[in-house]
Amino acid sequence: MAPTLLATLRPPARPEVSQEGLTAHVSAREFSVFYRKVEAVKQVSFDIPSGLVTAIIGPSGCGKSTFLRAINRMNDLIPGCRARGELVFDAANVYSPEVDVVALRQRVGMVFQKPNPFPKTVFENVAYGPRLQGTRDRVRLASIVERSLVKAALWEEVKDRLSENALGLSGGQQQRLCIARALAVDPEILLMDEPTSALDPRSTTRIEDLIGELRGSYTIVIVTHNMQQAARISDLTAFFYEGVLVEYGPTQRLFTTPEKKQTEDYITGRFG
Amino acid sequence: MKTIAGTTGADRRVDPRPPARSLLLSKSASRWQRTASFLGQGFLFLVTAFSAASILFIFYYIFRDALPFFQLRGVAEFFSSTKWYPTGSPPEFGALAIFFGSGLVTLGAVVVAVPLGVAAAVCLSDVLPFGLRQAVKPVIEILAAIPSVAYGFFALVVLAPLLQSQGGPILAVTAWCVGAPLLLLSSVVIGDLSTARLAGPKARALRLGVTFALILIGGFGLWRLGITLKAVEVSSGTNALNVSLILGIMALPTIVSVSEDAIQATGRDLREGSYALGATRAETLLKVIIPAASSGILAAVILGIMRAIGETMVVWMASGNAAQIPSPWLNFLEPVRTLTATIAGDMGEADHVTGSARYHVLFAMAACLLLISFLCNLASEQVRRRTLRKIEGA
Amino acid sequence: MKLATRRVLDRSFSGLGFFSIGIMAASLVVMLAPMFVRGLDAFVFKATVEHRRLMLERLGRGNRDATSGEVTRAASARQPVYDMITRFKTEINDYSADQRRIYRGAVRDLESLVRELLGPFPGEAQPVLIRQQFGQTRWDRAQAKIREILYVESYDYSDPTKMGVRIETPRVEAFRGTSLEALFPYIEAHAEEMLRPRTTVYWRFLFDGSMDAHFFGGIWPEVLGTFYLTFGAMIFAVPMGIIAAIYLVEYARDTWLIQLLRTCISSLAGVPSIVFGLFGLAFFINTLHVSESKSVLAGSITLAVLVLPTVIRASEEAIRAVPLTYREAALSLGAGKWHTIVSVILPAALPGILTSIVISMGRAAGETAPIIFTAAVSVGKPLKLWETASQPTPALPWNIYNLATEHEAVDEIRHIQFGMVLTLVVLVLLLNVTAIVLRARVSKKLRG
Repeated sequence: MAPTLLATLRPPARPEVSQEGLTAHVSAREFSVFYRKVEAVKQVSFDIPSGLVTAIIGPSGCGKSTFLRAINRMNDLIPGCRARGELVFDAANVYSPEVDVVALRQRVGMVFQKPNPFPKTVFENVAYGPRLQGTRDRVRLASIVERSLVKAALWEEVKDRLSENALGLSGGQQQRLCIARALAVDPEILLMDEPTSALDPRSTTRIEDLIGELRGSYTIVIVTHNMQQAARISDLTAFFYEGVLVEYGPTQRLFTTPEKKQTEDYITGRFG
Repeated sequence: MKTIAGTTGADRRVDPRPPARSLLLSKSASRWQRTASFLGQGFLFLVTAFSAASILFIFYYIFRDALPFFQLRGVAEFFSSTKWYPTGSPPEFGALAIFFGSGLVTLGAVVVAVPLGVAAAVCLSDVLPFGLRQAVKPVIEILAAIPSVAYGFFALVVLAPLLQSQGGPILAVTAWCVGAPLLLLSSVVIGDLSTARLAGPKARALRLGVTFALILIGGFGLWRLGITLKAVEVSSGTNALNVSLILGIMALPTIVSVSEDAIQATGRDLREGSYALGATRAETLLKVIIPAASSGILAAVILGIMRAIGETMVVWMASGNAAQIPSPWLNFLEPVRTLTATIAGDMGEADHVTGSARYHVLFAMAACLLLISFLCNLASEQVRRRTLRKIEGA
Repeated sequence: MKLATRRVLDRSFSGLGFFSIGIMAASLVVMLAPMFVRGLDAFVFKATVEHRRLMLERLGRGNRDATSGEVTRAASARQPVYDMITRFKTEINDYSADQRRIYRGAVRDLESLVRELLGPFPGEAQPVLIRQQFGQTRWDRAQAKIREILYVESYDYSDPTKMGVRIETPRVEAFRGTSLEALFPYIEAHAEEMLRPRTTVYWRFLFDGSMDAHFFGGIWPEVLGTFYLTFGAMIFAVPMGIIAAIYLVEYARDTWLIQLLRTCISSLAGVPSIVFGLFGLAFFINTLHVSESKSVLAGSITLAVLVLPTVIRASEEAIRAVPLTYREAALSLGAGKWHTIVSVILPAALPGILTSIVISMGRAAGETAPIIFTAAVSVGKPLKLWETASQPTPALPWNIYNLATEHEAVDEIRHIQFGMVLTLVVLVLLLNVTAIVLRARVSKKLRG
């Protein structure tokens, strides 16, 4: 029974990714995250390959978002949150004290669960990052904004509304604006924390298409509670359960022939 | 180990991009950043601490100028004598009557404001529909926003002449307005309770009889009271009653908004629990909600008292400023004098002779006011904190 | 208890709530109505020819020809009054010595009343005070004066258990049988011709200085002084308040020290305003010597300390209300903490902070007690900006008190007092309405 069910989840025809011959962009080694006494992520070790889409799935509260937010140290905002072990990016442990968090976050962009544009104009939203990096020249800013919006597949819709308040856009547009805003900083890695959970199906499709287009240019790590989505858009999938990395591998294999019982149970919907 | 072997996947490389900014901070940059953050936070802290320290400055400078008075004149006279003749020779600085005046008008304000304020708060949070509530909120805000000197002007120019010319009838009408509903209600309740054990048609007749008898007796009393009050002559419109009324209205917004918050904070579960047992709205509110919110309401009352006791302009303009204890004690129709009004009124003549007892006695009064308000504030904070803990604990 | 009784109690309990709210609303109306009605009287009133003469002669306003024509016509209507009085004064000489003494006294009283009503007699030397150079400028005051001319007011104290009863006797009784008897009907009948009342809009009441200790003119020095004090207070309180709020929300950890700071700030909010006044005098003037004696500067700083806790608390709330997601977004784009605060959090919190500022402005504008000893004087010229560091100023709240209680002719200038109260109340209400509107827009935005 399981194989047939799994077959419905089979991703569309798409080159099988082999784990051979990939460059690790971020590597976790015995990496744990604690909220005060509680260990939310438990000693996970795996590599996130460069240029591919890696999905992290698992039931709510399994530590997938915590892990994602550890990569650009967004967890620093939460009081009482600390990490142990290694999370290596560009030959440095992200959590070592001499790491410049600002530089890290400029190289590791993030898109959040709910679209969160600033209450500023569309233009100012996208230009926020480049301005931070010291770009003052109006013409250069305009070209960065345009390029980012084009990459985020939003340019055609908003090119006449650049000076309007971003909060006036629809939810899906706002989320793509957030992606454009993240892209404008020119990051290497793009972290997405359930980017479509607050959107309607049509907007979700557009975002998924967009992720497909961005694949190859950016390393994308996406957390999702939607297994179909993970199956549709990711090259590799990691399954977290209660803070532990249960299984990690090419998406197609993970969804068709999971090695672990827990993975299979989750994928077939027996829990979570 | 779920690592990815090999590093030859040239087909999946990220686009070439300019050399990325190094993740690691250089030693000097890191030191600079830490210093800047430390200095910045230090600056913010200093400004905050300085704002907060104003209260310490206030305490220091008020008490510094208050102490010389006690050194010059001792403590006993100030607190125990009612002879206030600062310009006499020899001068006398008995402030008891002034303390009494402050207390009296505050008491009056509390009597006016607390029942009205709590009833209005209950009504706002539990009785009024949402739309009406939104309409009432601005009324409260505006009532709170009107400057005290405008209240004082009203008290002096409009209310005082009215009280002086129509004082008796106003008192009588007020007594009727308050007394008649109270009388009716208590008669009905007592009639009901006294015949609760009986049953049958006889009981019904008896109940009606008791109720009507009570109404008749009470009504007669009220009528006599009305006649007595109507004959009262108010010799001066600027008196404790006038000030108490105005101070009560000024304290209302504080009492209403703070106790409404407290009443709302009790939550829906409590109400539903009571309604489920068949209690009416009034029973629920009186027996469950108000006791549960009592500490918040107490805090509201304390804040209201602070507002009344610290108010200057209204009492200065409309209290009559006579440093005497009214006779009998609770006679609100006589002029009184309060601490705040004394400070405001006497400083003008005293401020050129710093060093005299006459100057320092005003600071002594301010010190007393400061202490009272400080203690009230601590008390209301404490009460509110206790409520918070109770709610969080629940 | 019977269900019916319980129901009655329930109803009456709700009734009590409605009654209380009704009392609140009613007291607001009862408070504001006389202020608006009688306050407007300072701006729109029936002005007599004396008003137009005053405007023309003192301020050069109005149509010279029309006014002088009116003055001539009024003078011709007044001439019989003067004639009758002069005739009577010569007539007195024929009476007996006793009668002469009585009539002299009575006519002297009458003359001074007529002088108050119509201004100096023709041919008299110009008096020094402006109030004596002109008659009644307002028709309502003129009518009160006419009543004083027509009736003598006295009190009957014959019953010692009661308060004195006011009795009005026609003044004409004193002059029965003399030629002056005709004067009183004449004044009653020709009052309008003598004074020529006309409805006038005196909007410049706001922008004119006062003339002769507020007998005439407007309230500009007070309005300007209030503006100076209010904005001065804001200049000190707003930056400090916002910085303290930022620190308390974004940086402060929950230590005993921060708890202490919070307690201090909330205690500051409870200090009676008169104590602030004494503190300002003792600290800013007598210790720091920010100015030699009272000054706008000293008053502003005192008011700033007074509104500081309000600004801090409300700004804190506004900053706390900014959604966490804005912070996350800015940080994830590589903004530093301080940059996040300045570029994202403060702009988002701005409407809330503005609300708190506007409400504090209303508070600072209306406070009287703190400025009594630090900034306010009863009479003064409008200050230049640079004079505010060293000069005291009149201000609306203080002068309302002053004119209502300490002015030499409290009853004569009620309209000016009410005009001031109206101006102050409208100023404060406008500020508060702005705050209410701002807040409504904020909550709409956060919901939308």
